[in-house]
Formats: sequence, structure tokens, C-alpha cells
Amino acid sequence: MAAAEASEPEVADAYLVASAQQGYIDAYELLVQRHSAMAYRVALRLTGNHHDAQDVAQEALIAAWENLPKFRADSSFSTWLYQIVTRRALNKVSRGRDVSLVELLPEDVADPAQEPAQRAERNLAVDAVTDALSVLPFSQRVVIVLHHFERLSYAEVASVTGSTEPAVRSHLFRARRALGTTLQEWR
Amino acid sequence: MSGPVNDPAPDSYSAGPLLSAATLACGADVDLLLEQVADGHARDQDVHQQECVHCQAAIGELDGLWGPIVELAASPVPTPPGLAAAVTRRIRALARDIWYTLEATDIGVIQIASRIVATLARDSARTVPGVRVALGRSTRDDLGALIERATFGHRHPHAAVGVLGRTAVVDLAVAVSYGPPVHDVAREVQRRVITTLREQVGLQNVAVNVTVDNVLDDEDD
Repeated sequence: MAAAEASEPEVADAYLVASAQQGYIDAYELLVQRHSAMAYRVALRLTGNHHDAQDVAQEALIAAWENLPKFRADSSFSTWLYQIVTRRALNKVSRGRDVSLVELLPEDVADPAQEPAQRAERNLAVDAVTDALSVLPFSQRVVIVLHHFERLSYAEVASVTGSTEPAVRSHLFRARRALGTTLQEWR
Repeated sequence: MSGPVNDPAPDSYSAGPLLSAATLACGADVDLLLEQVADGHARDQDVHQQECVHCQAAIGELDGLWGPIVELAASPVPTPPGLAAAVTRRIRALARDIWYTLEATDIGVIQIASRIVATLARDSARTVPGVRVALGRSTRDDLGALIERATFGHRHPHAAVGVLGRTAVVDLAVAVSYGPPVHDVAREVQRRVITTLREQVGLQNVAVNVTVDNVLDDEDD
């Protein structure tokens, strides 16, 4: 059963979006399954903690459903979702913690397959980058996360942030220097 | 940029001063070098870089500095196991009262998508002589507010309609032709929409709020 399902060709996001816009919730559920990992990952990089990341990802996926009638296919669903996640993360970071939101997850979602010693060593370097990211201004963090972590092109980052390619590149120049300088100071 | 500069390079560049400099001694732009390294092209060097001690030292330093960032970016981020399910639950709860009107009969349940109600109402309004355009708008009266809460403000784009059980509130914004009495046209819209929804959908309590917000001349198409 699972093997047969895995061999089925995946339908395009655009088809699922069009179906969801006509009220087929099943179609939107498939979109949620496809994109929730991305929503959470980006939210985690932008907010810096698991609790806020869960809130942001959950709010963004529900907001996307509520605003689906307004979505026009001039950008991809994923680009649109990046926009929503980014805006929600900015709201979260600027407002501080909203304790009324449901918290789903335990604090630590570490990979249990990793050996503790190996995990501790790796976490030192990784934590340093995470901390360095968290002290960057939000506008610089966004371009670093979208371009260097999510591998979006300058054009895609510009589309998500409502900016231009030259502006994105210029932001990236400053952000890389700032991130590099912070890391260097902590080395 | 000029050719390679063969002045003795420092034993190694320190990243701190390097990151506060605009250019290297050879004239190479530090921002461009960092972009090259950060985009994973440290080894895709041009002729100048291959022969320039300054560029070689700087690229090596920047590559080492950027390494942990690459490592973090490549690390998998486990998604909270309950996330997709929580979103799905919320959406199903939002949608349950939005899309269907319920009628329980002794041989089963009838469900009709509220967008069908909306489309029927809008199309019915458009058959009234003197109506040029009929559009949905959100409801604000008491019954409307009740349904607004039940439907969480979620409206189908084609027309505003709230359906709860066999009760429906439909808001229509209507543009009429110049000439016929506006009041008569609006009353006829209410009468036809109510008749249509009672006969075709089986709704018992139907309220139709009509807002005439435009009067168009014949040439205003």
C-alpha cells in the first residue's frame, strides 16, 4: 500500500491550491503536509526558539488557508507561504512572547539517533551560529536565512520580501559581514 | 582589478580586520570574496585569485569562518510531529460551519456547500430587471453577527453568505440601472433570492440584505 502510494506521481501545488480554493479541504491538507516542515524550519531560524517557531508555523499555515481566496497564481504557493511565515515571524519577534498560543512541542526535539558526545560537540558550533543569527537585525536575518539556509535565489528572496534583487544583494553584503564579525568575536 | 599583487602577504589574514576592510591590498572587493565563499564557490577561483597571495589567504580565512554556517544550514530540522495535524484540526473546525448547510431527514443528512447558496443568490439577483451587478458583502446585523462568529469571518469570494442549519443570511451589494425605482428593484431582489433559496436549497429562514451602492447609466458597462 505504502509502496504503491509512493510510486504515484505527485500532483503540482498549483492544482492543490486551485482545488483548495474551491473548498476541497483535503487538497489543503496535502499542501500543509508538504510545506509544514519548511514553515517550521524558517520560523525556527527567524525566531530562534522552538515555541515561537511552532506558533508562527501554525499561524502562518492557518492564515494561508483563510487568505486562500485572495491568492493569485502569479507566484508559487511556497513563495507566498515564505512571505506569510516571514511576516508572522517579524510580528512575533517584535511583540515578544504571546503566551496564549497553544504550545505543541517539548523544548528539545533533538535527533535521538545522535550520540550525546557527538551532539554536544556539534551543538557548540551550531549554537554559536544560531546565537550569532539571533543578534542580527531582522532584515539581515531574513536574507541570510532565505538565501543561505533555504537556498532561494536573489530573485526569489526579492519576491518574498517585496524588494528588488540589487537591494537583496546589498542587504546580504551587510548581513554576511555582520554575521561573520559576530562569529569571529566568539571564536 | 589589476593583475596579481606579489607583495608579501601576511602569514594569515585575521577575519576581524578583514571583515572591516572594503578591499584587500590587491584591490579585491571583500564583499565579493565573502559572497563567493558563502555561496559555496571558494574553489571556483579566477586567474587573479589563483595567483594572488592576498586573495588566497583571505578566501582561506573566510571559508573557515563560514564553515559552521554551512554546517548549520545543512543540518536537518525535525518538524514537530503534531504540527500538521494541529493545523488540519483547526482548519476542519473552521470549515465545518462554513461550507455546508445541514438538513437531517429520516433517511440521511443533506449537505449543501454554502458557496452553492452564495452562487444561487447572486445569480438569482442578476435576473431582476434593473440589476446590473450583484456582489457579496459581509454581514453585520445580529443574525449575521452570529453567523459571522460561526463562520469565523471566512467567506467565499463569490458572494457573502452565512449558512447555519437551515438558516441563511445573504448580503448582496447591487448596482442598478438608472431609471427604474431603486427601492422596487431592491425589494424584487430580496423576493427572488428568498424564493430561489427556499425552493432550490430548502432553506427555511432566509434573510437577504441588499445594499444598492451604485447606479449606472447605460454606457457605464
